[in-house]
Amino acid sequence: MSITFNKESLYNGIDFFSIVDKRFKTNLISIWLIDRLSEENASSNALSMSFISKSSKKYPDMTLLNKKLSSLYGANLSGTTSKVGDNQFMMLGVSCISDKYALNSEKLTLESTDILMDCLLEPNVENGGFSEKLFAPIKQELLDDIDAIINDKRNYALMKTSKIAMKGEPSAIRSCGEREYAEKVNAVSAYEKYIELLKTSEIKVFFVGSESPDEVKNKIKERFSVIDRNFKDKSSSEFSPAKPEPVYETEILDVVQSKMVMSFKCNDRNSHAVRLMTAIFGATPFSKLFVNVREKMSLCYYCAARYDEIKGILNVDSGVEQENIEKARKEILNQLESMKRGEFTDEEMNNSLLSLVNSAKSINDSAASLASWYLKQDVIGTNYSPEEEIEHLKAVTREDIIKAASSLTLDTVYVLTKKGDE
Amino acid sequence: MDKKIIRNDRVGEKYYCINHPSGLTVLVWEMDNYSTTHALFGTKYGSINTKFKTDEDADYVSVPEGIAHYLEHKLFENEDCDVFSLYAKTGASANAYTSFDKTCYLFSCTDNYEESLRILLDFVQEPYFTKETVEKEQGIIGQEIRMYEDDPNWRVFFNMLMGVYHNHPVRIDIAGTVESIAKIDADLLYRCYNTFYNLNNMYLSIAGNVDVDKVIEICDEMLKSCKNHNLETVFEDEPETVFEKETVQNLEVATPLFNIGFKAKSEKGKAGLKADIETNIVLALLADDSSPLYKKMFDKGIINSNFGTEVFSGDGFFCSIFGGESRNPHEVLSEIIAEIERVKVEGFDEERFEIIKKSYYGSQIRGFNNVESVATLMINSYMSDVIPFDTVEIIAEITLEDIHKRLFSQFNTDNYTISIINPIK
Repeated sequence: MSITFNKESLYNGIDFFSIVDKRFKTNLISIWLIDRLSEENASSNALSMSFISKSSKKYPDMTLLNKKLSSLYGANLSGTTSKVGDNQFMMLGVSCISDKYALNSEKLTLESTDILMDCLLEPNVENGGFSEKLFAPIKQELLDDIDAIINDKRNYALMKTSKIAMKGEPSAIRSCGEREYAEKVNAVSAYEKYIELLKTSEIKVFFVGSESPDEVKNKIKERFSVIDRNFKDKSSSEFSPAKPEPVYETEILDVVQSKMVMSFKCNDRNSHAVRLMTAIFGATPFSKLFVNVREKMSLCYYCAARYDEIKGILNVDSGVEQENIEKARKEILNQLESMKRGEFTDEEMNNSLLSLVNSAKSINDSAASLASWYLKQDVIGTNYSPEEEIEHLKAVTREDIIKAASSLTLDTVYVLTKKGDE
Repeated sequence: MDKKIIRNDRVGEKYYCINHPSGLTVLVWEMDNYSTTHALFGTKYGSINTKFKTDEDADYVSVPEGIAHYLEHKLFENEDCDVFSLYAKTGASANAYTSFDKTCYLFSCTDNYEESLRILLDFVQEPYFTKETVEKEQGIIGQEIRMYEDDPNWRVFFNMLMGVYHNHPVRIDIAGTVESIAKIDADLLYRCYNTFYNLNNMYLSIAGNVDVDKVIEICDEMLKSCKNHNLETVFEDEPETVFEKETVQNLEVATPLFNIGFKAKSEKGKAGLKADIETNIVLALLADDSSPLYKKMFDKGIINSNFGTEVFSGDGFFCSIFGGESRNPHEVLSEIIAEIERVKVEGFDEERFEIIKKSYYGSQIRGFNNVESVATLMINSYMSDVIPFDTVEIIAEITLEDIHKRLFSQFNTDNYTISIINPIK
């Protein structure tokens, strides 16, 4: 196995990352535009991303664009918007099979890159805005998506919790924005904001594939040169501070099973220690929460801990019967107290480490995982390979874990449940 | 021992198929330079196999729904510990799933696959449950069933299946119902275990960073021979027509969800695979995101990007599904039916057919990139009596005429069910 990772600056806030490995049968090129999350712009950015992933000046509607992509052996072009800490990440990417598999030696990778850059830089525009005919259904779809979070109760509960836990911080805003702001966006305002984004935002370009990235890099550099860049600031995020007293909130909906999310704030900057602590506490099927709260006490159907190292937040989310909510809450806190007292065995520590090592090593086998790995490394300001990450995890001591657990403060308890029987 | 190499020149790939003397079929795909190993140990036993017979039974036996899934939960418990704690020592990430027609136990790891493979082969062959442990599981599975009652995407799909099928057990939730699982006890679990977890009914599939001879050596060490007891499974007779054309439920959703299923006859083995592939191409031609129908419905605002299609098929069932979110599911239904009828008269666009065929071929090549999809492809293929390379070979041979024939055989526009989930308010 030999993976070559390289990062270089193309110019003025645009970085090019390449990850090359002969094993891959596909090439993946993704472009990330980064903006500070704000209620005013979140929906507009999400709409622009959706719009440019479905059309360009050259292929003005989905039918024509998809037909072209299909003819490149099913090249796949997609746009997504996600939240990373206090920032909104807009991604437009294309993946295609390597040129060597093309039946008639077509230059699939360069052609796919061109289509990607067409969509990004030459959108389907009319009268100073995105084409209204395509924009209208895309806006309706975004509004539907904003509302559709209720369909998935587990994610809905996590979303509501983060709104309470991070109130007042950019990270409390959903990556697709909020309905009242989304409704106000129109084809012209979205386009104007998008052009500004192209000029001023931090941009990261990723290439993951089996071939030399040089042709793709030169193509992208050349295409970007038409933009009059006026790059402002690099993106950053802050740890979320703990409230003086935890906030308790209950929401009533017509559901069969209740959900409870407990949000803890962390102030330990040793993220490797916090990750290992989280694994022992609640992130594996042999963790304290799984074995005790779910299996031994049968209090929850799922009960898992996840740590967001960018915001310093650990969430425990659970699916629980209404009559067990209080018992489950107490037991989760009990389990955390036992972590703080160092009541975990060397075996638990070692097994949790093995599980994290296994996940880190697996990253190398997937192009998409490698791209998100190095993107995240860049966001947190490091450049560790998965192998280097493993060395850091191995260096964590029992004392580090106790310190990490002790740095957690309960911030928010959110419960979603049905009307009580009383 | 019978160890065959199966090669395919078109894609330049190969794997090993071993008929192990214990009765187990072992499939090994070595992938050079990959770090991970993915292994699945599975039985051809899913939620639909509720009526069966072996040499030991005088007549067909019927059992309550939900046993396959219940067994999956219980096998994860050994006499002295939980299986997860065994894997914890190897660092592998382990899981299991039950579908309509199979139960698979799996792990994925980057180091020491030999030890994880021993754990896998051992616990699946060592059932242990008592009256007490079985009763305790009823609570946990009951919670799982209730959790799905809140999941509108799951409900819209099962409500559709309940509309399409009169008798076939595919209409029942994989986990069973709160009532059916109440009837499950330790005796029934052992009975079904002994029937379906016979190695002659099972497959081991392992891909990635692995050595075929080492796998055989571990199989020799761990597998306990099984006598082939000639297992047969049957289903109640299923009428060709759907049970009911429309089903509606209200749940906490924002926009209505819909599934539309067209019922057709099912086929087995290679003919079944050909039917699946051709119907997938028909569905892409009819309604993928570069089709005229998609554009028309999107522009009208009656579908959004969540709209999609799927072939849902298996032993005794076949259904072509259109699903998504819509403020007007009935209008979507009318548009789909009108398009099917139009194409039956006017035929499909040949250029789009060629593009879709190429794109389908491309998606198969992508699959060979990924350790997990290779291992899964092998076990799924063998459980359906085909081999992993059949798909690429079938795609390469398909003609537009095959696709037209398939349109007529699988899409009777009078034989559908529409399932809708409406918002509560």
